[in-house]
Amino acid sequence: MHKTLLAGASALVLSLALAAPASAQAVELPDLSGQSLTVFGPWVGGAEIAAISAVIAEFNEQTGANAEYVGSDSLEQQIVIDAQAGSAPEVTFFPQPGLAANMASQGFLTPLPEGSDQWILDNYAAGQSWVDLGTYADANGEDQLYGFFYNVNLKSLVWYVPDNFEDAGYEVPETMEDLIALSEQIVEDGGTPWCIGLGSEAATGWPATDWVEDLMLRLHAPEVYDQWVSNEIPFNDPRVVEAIEAFGMFAKNDAWVAGGAQAVGTTDFRDSPAGLFQVPPQCYMHRQASFIPAFFPDGTELGVDADFFYFPSYAEKDLGNPVMGGGTLAAITNDSPAAQAFMDYLKLPVAHEIWMSRSGFLTPHQGADLAAYADDTLRAQGEIMLNATTFRFDGSDLMPGAIGAGAFWTGMVDFVGGASAEDVANNIETAWSNL
Amino acid sequence: MATITQSSPVTAEPKAGILSNIKVTPGKAMAHLALLLLVLIWTVPTFGLLISSVRDRDQLAVSGWWTSLTTVQRSFAGVLGTPADQVQEDDQFVIRGNVLGDDSNQVLVGFGTSINNPAEFPAGSSVEMRTGGTITVSEDGSYVWTSPTAFAHNRVRLFYTSQVPPRFTLDNYVEVITAAGIGRAFVNSFTVTVPATIIPILIAAFAAYALAWMRFPGRTLLVALMVGLLVVPLQMSLIPLLRLYNGIATTFGGSAKSYLGIWLAHTAFGLPLAIYLLRNYMAGLPREIMESARMDGASHFQIFVTMVLPLSFPALASFAIFQFLWVWNDLLVAIVFLGQSQNELVLTGQLRALLGSRGDNWEILTAGAFISIVVPLVVFFSLQRYFVRGLLAGSVKGG
Repeated sequence: MHKTLLAGASALVLSLALAAPASAQAVELPDLSGQSLTVFGPWVGGAEIAAISAVIAEFNEQTGANAEYVGSDSLEQQIVIDAQAGSAPEVTFFPQPGLAANMASQGFLTPLPEGSDQWILDNYAAGQSWVDLGTYADANGEDQLYGFFYNVNLKSLVWYVPDNFEDAGYEVPETMEDLIALSEQIVEDGGTPWCIGLGSEAATGWPATDWVEDLMLRLHAPEVYDQWVSNEIPFNDPRVVEAIEAFGMFAKNDAWVAGGAQAVGTTDFRDSPAGLFQVPPQCYMHRQASFIPAFFPDGTELGVDADFFYFPSYAEKDLGNPVMGGGTLAAITNDSPAAQAFMDYLKLPVAHEIWMSRSGFLTPHQGADLAAYADDTLRAQGEIMLNATTFRFDGSDLMPGAIGAGAFWTGMVDFVGGASAEDVANNIETAWSNL
Repeated sequence: MATITQSSPVTAEPKAGILSNIKVTPGKAMAHLALLLLVLIWTVPTFGLLISSVRDRDQLAVSGWWTSLTTVQRSFAGVLGTPADQVQEDDQFVIRGNVLGDDSNQVLVGFGTSINNPAEFPAGSSVEMRTGGTITVSEDGSYVWTSPTAFAHNRVRLFYTSQVPPRFTLDNYVEVITAAGIGRAFVNSFTVTVPATIIPILIAAFAAYALAWMRFPGRTLLVALMVGLLVVPLQMSLIPLLRLYNGIATTFGGSAKSYLGIWLAHTAFGLPLAIYLLRNYMAGLPREIMESARMDGASHFQIFVTMVLPLSFPALASFAIFQFLWVWNDLLVAIVFLGQSQNELVLTGQLRALLGSRGDNWEILTAGAFISIVVPLVVFFSLQRYFVRGLLAGSVKGG
C-alpha cells in the first residue's frame, strides 16, 4: 500500500514545486499582539537554541505574539509532570512519538484541525508514513491526528573518510551485497571495516537497536517492520531473529569490527567514530545517524575529511530505498489561538528554511528550498529524505518504554556479549508479554 | 556572644592535652599510613578531573588523563601543499610547507606514504612519492617536495609519527565562563540557595528546641513522624506540590513557578533532616543549664535565644553546609519549580545545557564541575571552623 502511495508521492514532487508556494499562501497567520506562548522542546545546546529561537523570532515578527522557547534534556519526564500538574506549555516538540501517543491517550494533547492530514500527504515526502506517526488514539480510543514532524534526522547513514577510501582504492557501495563485499575486501587488505560502539551510560545498547531496525527494513517489507514495532508479530519471530543475526554478522565478527567483538559493548558511541580518523585507521566505516559529526575531531571538514553514504539496501530484495530516522513531533499541549497559529506557522516553508540554513536540521517538507541547507552534506541528506520510498521511525522509540528503552537495549548488549539471537529475542518477547 | 567565649577555652584545653599525649607506636603509624592512603585514593578522581579539565577535547577522546603528563608518540595525517603552492627553482618544481602546522611543539620522528605505516622512514630521509617527485621531511615537520615536472596532483596526504609533549589549555574554562547565561545562572543559583538555606534553619531551630526541651503531649509521636518523613522520596511529591502551586497561582494570580515556590519546596524537603539533626544535638545539651535558667525565671524563648542557639551554633553550621551543598547541586527541584527558560536556569541546569542535546561538548563538563565547586568550597571553608569546633566540643563532653 505504501509503495503505490509513495510512488505517487514521488511523482507528485514535480507538480508540488508549483503547489507548495500556493499552500504557503493559504496559511494566514492571525495578529496575536500581546499574546504569549511557551514552546517546549528537547534542544538544549547553544547552536540548537539559537536556531529554534530564530524560528520563533520569525513567528513573533509575523504575528506580534510573544513566544518563548524553553528547552530541557529531560523533556520526557518534565512534560508529564507539567501536564499532570496543569501547567503544560502551549506547544511541545516530542522527541518520541510513543510519549506523544501516551499523552494523547490521557487527553493532554489537542488534535490538529480538519484537513491537516491532507496537508501532510501533500507536502511531506513519504507523507503517509508521517501521518501515521502523528495519529494516535485519544482518551476515547478514537484515532486523531495530533501533530506533524519538524526537525528530523536520518539514521541510515554510513560515515567514512574519502581519502582513506581513495588511497585504498575502495568504491562507495551501492548495494548491501557490495557493502558486504567491501567489508571482506578491507579485511583481506589487512584493515578493519567497522567501528561500532554501543556505550551510552544508562542508554547503552541503543546504537545496536538502530542497526537492527535498519537491517529489518532492508530484509523485509515495511509492513513487517510495523508489525514488529507494534508487537503484532512476536519479538522472537524468525524474521526479527534474522535481522539481529544480520547485525551480528557485522558486530560479532572479530575481524570486521575495531577492537574485536568484545569491544563493541564497552566502546562509547561518542568515542567510536574517532577510529575513522586515526593513523593507521582503526576502521573504515561507521554507521550512525546524521548528528554524529558533532563528535568528529575538531577541524574535521565534512565532505572533505569525512563523508557519508546511504546504508544501502539489498539489490536482490527489491524493497526500494527505505530510510530510518528520528525526529521531533510538534503537538499542542495547551490549546490557545496562539498555539494553533504556531502550528500553522510550522507548516510554512520559511519555518523550515530558517533552521535548514543553520545546522543539524533536515526536513521532509517538499516546499522548503533545498538551496537553503547550510552545506552540501546536509543537502545530500535532505535529498535522501526526499527520495525515500519508505520512511520509518526509529522502532525502539515506538515500542513501549520498557522494551524500546529497556529490554531491547540490554538485549543488544547481551547479544554482542555472546548471547545467541534467539535467546535475546526470546527474552525481549518475554519482557514484552509481561507488560 | 558571652557563651561563645566561654565555650572556647573548654575546647582549647583538651586539644592541647591530646597533642601532648601523642606517642608514636607502630599501631598508630600504621593507622596514619592507612589514613594517608585512603585520602590519596579518595583524591585521585578529583585530581583526574582537574587534569582533564585543562586538556583539550581531541586529547580527551583518545587518551586518559594519566597519560597527559608524559610525552606520547602518536601518528597523524597531514595534507601536503597543492600545485598552487609550487615554485620553480632552476629546472625543478618545489613545494615547501610544514606538516605539523606552524605553531606546533611536536617533534616528528618518522613519516610514511602509506596510512598503514606512518613511521616507515626516519625524519630527515628522502622518499619517492607515489604521485611523483621526491619528498624530504625534517624533524620540525618542514618538508621540501621536489619534482622535475610540474605538480598536478589533487589532494595528497603524508602520514607521520611525532612526539606529542604534554599540552594544557584553559579553553574549557574560558568556554564555560564566557558561555551566554552563566553569569545569570550564578545569580539565579544564589537567589535560590541562600534563602533556601536560611529559612529551613530558622524554622528547624525553633522546632528542634520545642521537640527537645518543651513538654507537651504527642511530642515523641511528632519526632517519630519527622523521622518517618526522612524516608519519603522527594520525587513523589513533585506533581502534587506543583499542582498545589498551580491552584494557588490561578486563584490568587501570579506564576506557579517562582522563587518563593522553590524556596518553600527546598525548605519543606530539607526540614525533616534539619529538625532531626538539631533536635538530637539540642537534646544533648546539659540539662543543668536549662534548669538553672528556668529557676532564674527565664522563659522558653529567652533560653532558646540566649543559650540554646549560641550553644547549637556548630550543629546549625553543619546543617547549613549540608543544605547549601544540596540546594546548590540540585537540578531536579530547580527545573520543576523554577522552569527551564534561559533566564530561569540555575547553574547546574545551565551547565547541563552547555553539554548539548547529546552530550556533544562533554569536555567542558570537567571545567564546569570545578567552576561550580568554587562556591560550595568557599562556604565550606568559611563555616568549617565551626564545623570542627562542633565536633571537638561534642567529644570533650563525652570524655
